[in-house]
Amino acid sequence: MASVPHGAPHTNPVHGDHAHDGHDDHHHVPTGLMRYVTTTNHKDIGSMYMWFSFAMFISGGIMALLIRAELFQPGLQILEPERFNQLTTLHGIVMIFGAIMPAFVGFANWMLPLQLGAPDMAFARMNNWSFWLLPPAAILLIGSFFVPGGAAAGGWTLYPPLSIQAGMGMDMMIFAVHIMGASSIMGSINIITTILNLRTPGMTMMRMPMFAWTWLITAFLLIATMPVLAGAVTMLLTDRHFGTTFFNAAGGGDPVMFQHIFWFFGHPEVYIIALPAFGVVSQIIPAFSRKPLFGYASMVYATASIAILSFIVWAHHMYTTGLPMAGQLYFMYATMLIAVPTACKIFNWLATMWRGSITLETPMLFCLGFLFLFTLGGFTGLVLSLTPVDIQLHDTYYVVAHFHYVMVAGALFSAFAAVYYWGPKWTGWMYEEKLGKIHFWWSLIAFNVTFFPQHFLGLAGMPRRIPDYNMQFAEWNMVSSVGAFAFGTAQIFFIIIVLRMISGKSGIRAAAKPWDGAEGLEWTVPSPAPYHTFETPPAFK
Amino acid sequence: MLKQTACDGTPSFISVVSRTFGALAALVPFAVSADWKMNLQPANSSVAQQMFDLHTLITVICVVIFVGVFGVMFYSLYAHRKSKGHKAAQFHESATVEVLWTIIPFFILLAMAFPATKAVLDMRDSSAPEMTIKVTGSQWKWGYDYIHDGFGYVSTLATPLAQIHNSESKGDNYLLEVDNPLVVPVGKKVRVLITAADVLHAWWVPALGVKQDAVPGFIRDAWFRADRPGIYRGNCAELCGKEHGFMPIVVEVKTQADYDKWLAAQKDKYGVGKAATAVAVIDTKIYTREELVAHGKTVYEGLGGCQGCHQPTGKGIPGQFPALDGSKVVNGPKDGQVALLLNGKAGTAMASFKHLTDKDLAGVMAYTRSTWSNKSAEFAQPLDFAKARNGGVLPAGTTASAVTPAAGIARAPNYVKPPAETTGGRDNSEVRRVDINTGA
Repeated sequence: MASVPHGAPHTNPVHGDHAHDGHDDHHHVPTGLMRYVTTTNHKDIGSMYMWFSFAMFISGGIMALLIRAELFQPGLQILEPERFNQLTTLHGIVMIFGAIMPAFVGFANWMLPLQLGAPDMAFARMNNWSFWLLPPAAILLIGSFFVPGGAAAGGWTLYPPLSIQAGMGMDMMIFAVHIMGASSIMGSINIITTILNLRTPGMTMMRMPMFAWTWLITAFLLIATMPVLAGAVTMLLTDRHFGTTFFNAAGGGDPVMFQHIFWFFGHPEVYIIALPAFGVVSQIIPAFSRKPLFGYASMVYATASIAILSFIVWAHHMYTTGLPMAGQLYFMYATMLIAVPTACKIFNWLATMWRGSITLETPMLFCLGFLFLFTLGGFTGLVLSLTPVDIQLHDTYYVVAHFHYVMVAGALFSAFAAVYYWGPKWTGWMYEEKLGKIHFWWSLIAFNVTFFPQHFLGLAGMPRRIPDYNMQFAEWNMVSSVGAFAFGTAQIFFIIIVLRMISGKSGIRAAAKPWDGAEGLEWTVPSPAPYHTFETPPAFK
Repeated sequence: MLKQTACDGTPSFISVVSRTFGALAALVPFAVSADWKMNLQPANSSVAQQMFDLHTLITVICVVIFVGVFGVMFYSLYAHRKSKGHKAAQFHESATVEVLWTIIPFFILLAMAFPATKAVLDMRDSSAPEMTIKVTGSQWKWGYDYIHDGFGYVSTLATPLAQIHNSESKGDNYLLEVDNPLVVPVGKKVRVLITAADVLHAWWVPALGVKQDAVPGFIRDAWFRADRPGIYRGNCAELCGKEHGFMPIVVEVKTQADYDKWLAAQKDKYGVGKAATAVAVIDTKIYTREELVAHGKTVYEGLGGCQGCHQPTGKGIPGQFPALDGSKVVNGPKDGQVALLLNGKAGTAMASFKHLTDKDLAGVMAYTRSTWSNKSAEFAQPLDFAKARNGGVLPAGTTASAVTPAAGIARAPNYVKPPAETTGGRDNSEVRRVDINTGA
């Protein structure tokens, strides 16, 4: 476990704050499994979120590899089309709701109290509950592969009427989405309350770490959109079982209405994933440039603008549904506008590095990888924002390439950066720099080998979500599949690095502040961070 | 008119940029070879050409900005390294540059929005079409109705299963070939009315610049004007279930003269414009069970597409598609199965199959009632289907007049349009069955 066992002696020589240990001894907290079931400690819960996220990441990754194995060559080899559709559907849901979102909630749990100088999250028991909702949801999702009819196969977007035809796997998915949504909403309430109320005296809003700012805005997005998704899937459920016809034209409904509701959630969801990643990057780039973040205030405003814009662009996912022309034009213009605050953020990060004193440790490398790839994904997003171009590219592999550049490079790379950057604080041990760098270059190259050719596939006319394809797509698909397996193996390597760090096999103890350029209250407590921190608010200069 | 480059006939600036970079790309050996394709398909309509040019323009702009921005980053990584002894400056804000890099991207976007808006206006102007075709997506085939010419037909995948399962080598048009392509004349503004019978589909032909979702219960439109004759291929582009990857679209663009010939042949085939009395309509022959079973097997495995869902084993896919083996409907009274085959079942994947002939349907019914563990004594004759189509009674003048499909049957796909074409549908099916048999 990434967290420190409760009450374990602190081995860090720098650590001198033994008052915490004495304090801990007054509690009679459970040990073993019950400790994790009943814990209200933000560090325990943060660690659990991260382990859960990693388990889901591996599950979703195995699904992705099955998909890529089938697509290695034309013809049907290992998967029947129906199973293939189940895998693409579950890969999407598991990665978004199971892997990426919980990873960043895990970082928030661990780091927000440490960064804000708070003793814990505001609602400690609700924190426990919002984590423990996730495993049942995961069991529903993974278990749906084994029920009659298999898992949901209508795509992670759950478009009716196809999703109404499906078997009970779809009901399990709907229920899982409800549960995960409830978990996210509770997590968000907790994060907002913590940030607004538990900052140490002197830390004004405009002096908070960027990670706190991006999470604050993300949490508002979650609260605004998760109920919308819950509504959409509830309508699906009643259409499926209780004879309503929300999405059935024969009863006065409209299948396209689902898409409007879904993407009103779905587009902000993209930023729910991206904004905390921006926060992580905004912490790490200044640390390794040894220079303060450039344009802090404009970063805050840009983040808020992106969040607001994310609510008014949803139908750019629906250019081919037959929107009126005015609708196509409006959503095109609004979508293009998002490029402005996003570009502003990219420029701010570059200006932070400019004339800094840069070193390239693994967290910094992953942030640079993030910058490079996320910007590339942003540009393909701009290409897709143009309605006439999107007509050709919608539902092709170009879109698949685009959102993997944004999601994998955007969220996953910054999550790796966060683990390497804060991992020493969590575990008390450094990772091995050389291994970290191998992990970075391996991931970077494999990622591009996997996804860059998918742009070509989409341009040449290969639709997404098909298990078999014409011979003209064979070459790039083969390249992409080889890349995918290389990318998958790199993550086995990652877990080895992390396990060596946790177990101390790396042999290098982490100082309280292992990065000379890092700023923030989290570096004022020893590494590993004691079980209880900041029982009295720290001084903030 | 046939050789428009941009929408107004003169090469626009974007078009020139696009051609230039297209020519540069051709120098890369990858790009010119048949495979390793890296760009949009060559356009065969003014709209597709605008999409192509717009994509090239935007991609070039993005690449230039990308190289510029990351050039700066890599320079900084090189020059401002701690290992090179660079000391960090401590500046951290500048209102001037912030305003600059907010405003400059805005104007670049504005410049992009102009050609894009022009293309949208053109793309959506489906007014004054020279012909109109209705396209209906259903799981997993396309129906094409020439609504002003009074006939229509179904278009399904022609690639043999053996190729898909790798027991035969794959042809050049693997998965992009159909039995009956959509045929249109070159240079005519064709408006397509697109709808669906069951779930969402999307009708997509890249070379013609058309991709439009097919939404059940609603009709959307799109248009194209093909610049050159030829065969153009596309796929269903909206996930529509397990055979989503297996419902291609093929459009054959013919010269006006060839199209006219084709049209005349089709009208002849479907009996459009002929006196109803000239056509023999109803199959009144009483077949033996064995005859029907043998015929039904070919329909079940081929033309009807039944085994796609219900599987060759008749077991279906649990939770998705019901088993026929041991089914109550298949082993129950014949009327129930007759109605189900003709009307489909609302809210499920079971579509109406009334576009098949009476004999095909009777065959499938006899086959399913005599195969696997099913041993139902009852079976139906083609005549039963003819009656059911007509509300339970044999139409007056059975051998001499047309059968109108029963009124009041809900919006299931009806590819055979006015009365006289019921026969046409039958002929059509016969032709297609031959194709499938010889093809497989």
